[in-house]
Amino acid sequence: MTADPVTLEVIRNALPAVANEMAADLQRTSYNMMIYEVRDFCTAMVNVEGELISQNVGGVSHFVADLGVIITDGVKRYGRDGFKPGDVIITNHQAVAGQHLNNVVIYVPYFFEGELLLFSMVRAHWIDIGGTSTGFGAGPDVADPWLEGLQLDQMKIHEAGTVNETLYRVIKDNIRFPESSLGDMNSQIAACRLGVRRMDELFAKYGKGTILAAIGKIFDETEIKCRNVVSRLADGVYEAESFFDDDGVTPDEPVRIHARVSVAAGGMTIDLSGCSGERKAGINSRTLAGARVAYKALTGPLDPVNEGSFRALQVVIPEGNIMMARYPAPMAGWSIIVPTVVETIITSLASAMPDKIPAAHHGLLGGAVVFFGVNPVTQRRFVVQSLEGGGWGGRPYEDGESGTVSVCQGDVRNGSIEGIEMKCPVLVEERSLRRDSGGPGKYRGGLAIDMRVRNFVEGRWNFERARRRGCPAWGLWGGKPGETGGYYLRRAGEDGFRSVDGSRKPVEADSEVIVRTGGGGGWGDPLERDPERVRWDVLEEMISMEAAREHYGVVLGDDLALDLAATIALRQSRKRRGHAAQPEEI
Amino acid sequence: MIVAAIDIGGTFTDLMAFDERSGRFVQAKSLTTPAQLVQGIIDCVRKSGLESSDIAELIHGSTIAINTLIERKGAATGLIVTRGTRDVYGIGRGNRPESYNLFFHRHRPLVPRHLTCEVRERARASGEIHEPMQAADVQAACEKFAAEGVQAVAICFLHSYVNPRHEREAGEIVRKLMPGAYLSLSHQILREYREFERMSTTVVNAYIGPKVGGYVRGLKASLADIGFEGELTMMRSSGGVMTPEVATERPVAMMESGPVGGIIASARIGSALAFRNVISFDMGGTTAKASLIRDGAPTMASGYYVGGYASGHPVMEPVIDVVEVGAGGGSIAWIDEVGALKVGPRSAGADPGPICYRSGGTEPTITDANLALGRLDPGDFLGGEMELDAASAARGIREKIAAPLRMSVTAAAQAIIDIASAKMSLAVREVSVAKGYDPRDFVLVASGGAGPLHTLAIARELHIPTVIVPLFPAHFSALGMLAADERHDFIRTCYADLAAADFRQILSICQEMADEGNAGLRHKRDAEQRIHLDLRYVGQEFTLSVPVTREQLQGADRPGIRAAFDRLYEQRYAHHSPAEPVELVNVRVAVIGKRAEMQFPLLPAAGRVTAAHMAEVYLGDPERPVSCPVYRRENLGAGARFAGPALVREHGTTTVLFEGDGCSVAPSGELIIAVRGAR
Repeated sequence: MTADPVTLEVIRNALPAVANEMAADLQRTSYNMMIYEVRDFCTAMVNVEGELISQNVGGVSHFVADLGVIITDGVKRYGRDGFKPGDVIITNHQAVAGQHLNNVVIYVPYFFEGELLLFSMVRAHWIDIGGTSTGFGAGPDVADPWLEGLQLDQMKIHEAGTVNETLYRVIKDNIRFPESSLGDMNSQIAACRLGVRRMDELFAKYGKGTILAAIGKIFDETEIKCRNVVSRLADGVYEAESFFDDDGVTPDEPVRIHARVSVAAGGMTIDLSGCSGERKAGINSRTLAGARVAYKALTGPLDPVNEGSFRALQVVIPEGNIMMARYPAPMAGWSIIVPTVVETIITSLASAMPDKIPAAHHGLLGGAVVFFGVNPVTQRRFVVQSLEGGGWGGRPYEDGESGTVSVCQGDVRNGSIEGIEMKCPVLVEERSLRRDSGGPGKYRGGLAIDMRVRNFVEGRWNFERARRRGCPAWGLWGGKPGETGGYYLRRAGEDGFRSVDGSRKPVEADSEVIVRTGGGGGWGDPLERDPERVRWDVLEEMISMEAAREHYGVVLGDDLALDLAATIALRQSRKRRGHAAQPEEI
Repeated sequence: MIVAAIDIGGTFTDLMAFDERSGRFVQAKSLTTPAQLVQGIIDCVRKSGLESSDIAELIHGSTIAINTLIERKGAATGLIVTRGTRDVYGIGRGNRPESYNLFFHRHRPLVPRHLTCEVRERARASGEIHEPMQAADVQAACEKFAAEGVQAVAICFLHSYVNPRHEREAGEIVRKLMPGAYLSLSHQILREYREFERMSTTVVNAYIGPKVGGYVRGLKASLADIGFEGELTMMRSSGGVMTPEVATERPVAMMESGPVGGIIASARIGSALAFRNVISFDMGGTTAKASLIRDGAPTMASGYYVGGYASGHPVMEPVIDVVEVGAGGGSIAWIDEVGALKVGPRSAGADPGPICYRSGGTEPTITDANLALGRLDPGDFLGGEMELDAASAARGIREKIAAPLRMSVTAAAQAIIDIASAKMSLAVREVSVAKGYDPRDFVLVASGGAGPLHTLAIARELHIPTVIVPLFPAHFSALGMLAADERHDFIRTCYADLAAADFRQILSICQEMADEGNAGLRHKRDAEQRIHLDLRYVGQEFTLSVPVTREQLQGADRPGIRAAFDRLYEQRYAHHSPAEPVELVNVRVAVIGKRAEMQFPLLPAAGRVTAAHMAEVYLGDPERPVSCPVYRRENLGAGARFAGPALVREHGTTTVLFEGDGCSVAPSGELIIAVRGAR
């Protein structure tokens, strides 16, 4: 059976519309900012074989992988005949789900004329899952999944339409803020049911044969489009590597990230075997997200996602790798390394597609502002949560963007200052771009952010550092790296700020914390930057006079007038020195 | 008394006027002259034959505000903010809606960083002053602005929505030191929390202020020159009208002043025919727009992103909620790299236009497809003013679509129409089904030059039982403006648990907003106030606006308000949580000066319904045309009845009815069509 061009196009438009409608529904009804502001969730339709039929647009990019394994595992456990209409399954168990326990998956089977055809799913970040910490999830120092929180392994929270009260009570009694998380669970279930209703309308209208044929055709066409992009690259093997200073538990032992990308006749293999093995720290995962996000960004960033988006991609990650860690390896900070993995894969292809690869971005999920406690006036618990972005790398034809979330986060919004202060006893003293934090280059890296917060009451701060000091966002083609970030604390009564690290640190009232993100790398030789743009950057206070001279070889008068003759002379002498000292590398 | 409306569109400037004494409509059209919009208006008035001195009121919708922003032709603008927040405007929310795009762009700020000045001052969320304002910092900013040639100043301090004192004080200093500058204070534009969105809205207002102000003054002067002595009012994005003075202070309110006219007209026509629930569907040359009207009132959104969500400027000003898709008469059909047939979003627009316009277009469009199917008549387009080239349209469709897909020309044309209809159906779905409304409870009002051609197919797809084709469907926006009420919307963030909220304070805030609204009102006699509370379950971020009465506030009717919230929540999201506490976030007041209902003249009763001629038209089966009657709209009297398949032609559009669709003509002239198989 085949679908005619019209039906095909109609179904092609309808499938993402269903997932997007589910997402809009979830976002508006959820209780926690991880869903409504950070958009740390995905909605999707997956068939019984675990193939992705459609997924929502926006939100957190690294959710583009790892949905199918949940379904294939669920079908293996219950059998194809083990699902009934009205079932709702809940799972977050790391042996298969491979992410931190806060990411709770809810899925609902869809039957057409009595036959199980697919599942409607929502994976979303709960504000709390029990365990030692709350908010964004436990830190990398949490040693195992039991410390991390409640583990739910493919349980039916509803069976044939009846809620499992025992399971419900167990969940309720073992998490903080149960009203919030269970509210979110109900929103997830409602979104899944909405997806099922919409799919039923489609199947009823076009019939099973036509829809399934159309889905097959959509997968094929998507695959061809991706192959077309990759076939423009020269066949070969491309490599790049980077590292984290340490894993947060074992000091002085860098975490290696290595990508080996082979391109042959439109197919691509991303081999991450060279990355570190699994660690004692909770930065492990079981995920294809790093490879998939990079591939998607290179092959069709604006097209909807489905199984065909990745059929021409082979991902190699051996068992025991940091991204294919074996249960019960700790995974509380599962996504910390993913943006750097994505960036390393993208950078490896810089010579293959020089006009399509920017310099590195800050590469951090973080800039996490997390402060929590009990407000002594209202006796209510509060959690300050915001994610601050950093600088993105210079591009082959323009500067990088400033103060923006990582490649693994899409429509993730910071908390508004007024909203934070309305709900929590803090004062945001500053949210600003940091001068000179962007890597110099012909096209400059974007600037990083300093978010400075004063707490009026005592509470606990999370200061989980980024651990990229030794490997800041790198430049390309002669561009320089961006500055790195960190956490800085001024305790009440003290004068200066000190660098700090660690989770759930008690901090007394009237202290101040600076949450600092990293800048983006520069693209191309900064000595080739248009002096007029350098002057403008100084006027705009994006760079200092000193940086203009030091990195860009541009001389400005006190009135910011460009001294062209002095600039040419300075640049020439710099170039002679620089080229002798620097080997040719990207 | 004559009331006239003038709508400036991308291609044409439309005039519609209604003479209450004679019950007669007058219409005129002139080409829009982008460089001299005011001249286009004056031309249009002249062309209409109306005596300028007879026009009692002239209502105007214009693209001047939005174009000034999109083309970035606004004033040099400076921004004054609280210390520590200089980069809030540039950073925005730090998000990247295009998740996988490595080359994304954020909004491009309208104020450079060096013209954003920080001032030592600080309020807390409670409104309490944490740090007094240093006037010297404001003075220093003014000196810098003056030296840099700044013409417009925006001021946005943290928490000014609850305590605007510092903004007012800073504003006074700016007025004194920069008397010629245009000034916008954030609390006067938007009294709602979320600093970035409020700041962006205020900056946009300041940026377009001088230009829009000049336009309004120029228009008043030019109208006076041709003898106009009546009242001039401006359309706002909310669907209401405002005085030129309000428009000059708050130009950001007229951002979407063009498209809303058609929605108001849909609401009025629906109500007049006793249909309170209406979906307005307008399809023009480049896009189709759908909008939902419930209980006679258009659905409002609290704001939107000019230039799109991913890279646009947030403007939080009440706007009629519209879903737009890239499907219009000029939308181009094409085949992508894997052989899939696509329609839009690229459009041939008016220039070069569809192939059949003979103005150099080479890509087949929706209009070409309608022509190939016989739904448009090459000799009777725009009343015969423009002959269409059917042979070239067919050739274009054959070469670009039919041959590569191995289809006949008519099959390809039908495929183009079907894909476009499905896209438009998704837009109609998005305003209805996706928000919890069942389209079967609605009627579809079709307008725009291309709307009536496609509306029956869309209605059938969504099971909408009734379609209405109004009079003047191609001049509908201007017609709607004639019916627009005066309207002023206000919002105030007022954060409290509903259980503990101080209703006396809420009432006094409502009164304050109502007084401000009444002061700017002309039609005060039957003025109406609508009060909404923005509520949410504790812990949520998004609110629902719940309508409440003044009596409910006076009686502190917490249970009633609470129950209304739960009901609305259930309807929108299919679940609710009666045990969860609810909190109040904002209070909204709309002050509405009602205009007298327009009395449409009644048509003479129908005689015998006779077709002008028969035509061979493809109506679904691309291999077999159907011979169907073609009626002239102007020949259809009140009570006339006929059934599809049929075409109804009039100046500017054609209505297509399929087998089994039944049409009757209302006494006031609308075509009311029962859709076959919709229930």
